[in-house]
Amino acid sequence: MAQIEQSDNKGKKKKGAQKKMSIHVDFTPMVDMNMLLITFFMLCTTMIKSQTLNISLPSNEKVEQSEMNKAKDSEAVTLILDAKRDNAGDVLRGPNAGTTVYYYEGKPVVPENYDPKANDGISSNLDAKEFLGNDGKTPQGIRKILHDKNETVLERINEQKQLWREKKITEEEYQKLAKEIRNDSTLTRPVVIIKATPDASWASVITALDEMQINQISRYQIDQINHLDSMMIKGYRQEHGLGYK
Amino acid sequence: MGKVKPKRKSTLIDMTAMSDVTVLLLTFFMLTSTFLQKEPVTVITPSSVSEIKVPTSNVVTILVGTTEDRDGKEQGKIFLGIAGDEDPEMGGTEDVRRQALQIASQEYEKYTGKSTGITSSDLDKFAKLNMFGVPLADLHQFLSLKTEKQDEYLSDLENPNVGIPLKEIIYTNADGLRDVTNEFRIWMRAINNAGNANLSQAIKTGEGIAVKADATTNYQTMHEVLDNLQTMKMNRFSVMTALKSEQD
Repeated sequence: MAQIEQSDNKGKKKKGAQKKMSIHVDFTPMVDMNMLLITFFMLCTTMIKSQTLNISLPSNEKVEQSEMNKAKDSEAVTLILDAKRDNAGDVLRGPNAGTTVYYYEGKPVVPENYDPKANDGISSNLDAKEFLGNDGKTPQGIRKILHDKNETVLERINEQKQLWREKKITEEEYQKLAKEIRNDSTLTRPVVIIKATPDASWASVITALDEMQINQISRYQIDQINHLDSMMIKGYRQEHGLGYK
Repeated sequence: MGKVKPKRKSTLIDMTAMSDVTVLLLTFFMLTSTFLQKEPVTVITPSSVSEIKVPTSNVVTILVGTTEDRDGKEQGKIFLGIAGDEDPEMGGTEDVRRQALQIASQEYEKYTGKSTGITSSDLDKFAKLNMFGVPLADLHQFLSLKTEKQDEYLSDLENPNVGIPLKEIIYTNADGLRDVTNEFRIWMRAINNAGNANLSQAIKTGEGIAVKADATTNYQTMHEVLDNLQTMKMNRFSVMTALKSEQD
């Protein structure tokens, strides 16, 4: 391939004709150089572009109590994210440390005679779960709680999804219908309030927001944690014989 | 009896086909590549199911690195990266950066009464910087360093003069009242006003602000940054994430 045959005497060898040398080009250095360049480009490029997640935070301005839209108690779910802790209450560090999700439905149920300023644990309707992936098709952990709360919306959206899978509607139509269903105020939809303790990881906040997308929840909000919330966590941990710092 | 000589085969391998393949691969990589941008800290972003792509133009990247202070408490270090419009007429990257520094420097001098000492040659150097994170008072000195020295300077996160400070600057506003701002807010406002309408629009809708932080960063640290954005009424923004499936 890399040599050029120089024979134009149609097979006959004339006596005394000069012996023609074949021109052979060695491509090895060329390949070497190309390989080096390829390695350089492979190492310097980013093939996968990172994704983004859009977040809207509430405004920092003070809102009058009367102007606030209050969520119905039956619809509200509050998630409080916290880093995993050992039995003494020290935060576990490291990329795989994990998250504990405390949650309660509706308003916090606390004893009437509690002292709001004290640093004592308060017993309440708080419960703890974790972020878990699906087990086959069944949701687990906190996803199951949210899934059950938003069941009517999810059922309707799944019907549309089925139609889209069967190619009866286009993807755009499906997205539009799904959005309508998510925002349909006649359905029972939860309002999720996401709070995080100072020790919770950034990843846990993103995971919580992700759960909202997975469970098609349109009404959620990131809020700041208050003293009562911390004391409820402390109370929960004390009841289970665990420390909290 | 003459010995039968084994026929000697030449060990020359024809490399033409190999060369063809490598050239094809090389062309592919050259055409598809976008170069990794140099960043002072490497972060592993959290993963999410969101599939929205990061814009390449008209975006301000807020990179949050972390370090520990003497008490072992986590501290955030903020770095900013500015990308302008692809169309230079609308305010290209270098123009936006130059304008932003000029405005930020003026604002800083107005609020603190201290001079930043930024010269016009500093503006040109700054326009070439992909990411920066130095207090405005030290920026002139930082820009006079060589590129390698700049990288070295930024990589030392324990240095208190690395990262855009969130320290309060107290000043008297137009109504004669005491007010508070900080350098991060000065920068964000300056970038917003840097004469690129598309960038300002993107910042308004939230696509123009990309927050990039490591998955293990404490919420406390992130809250400080997000709180400042909220105060500036930049309530919408996007967070850089890696992709994961719904199953996990």
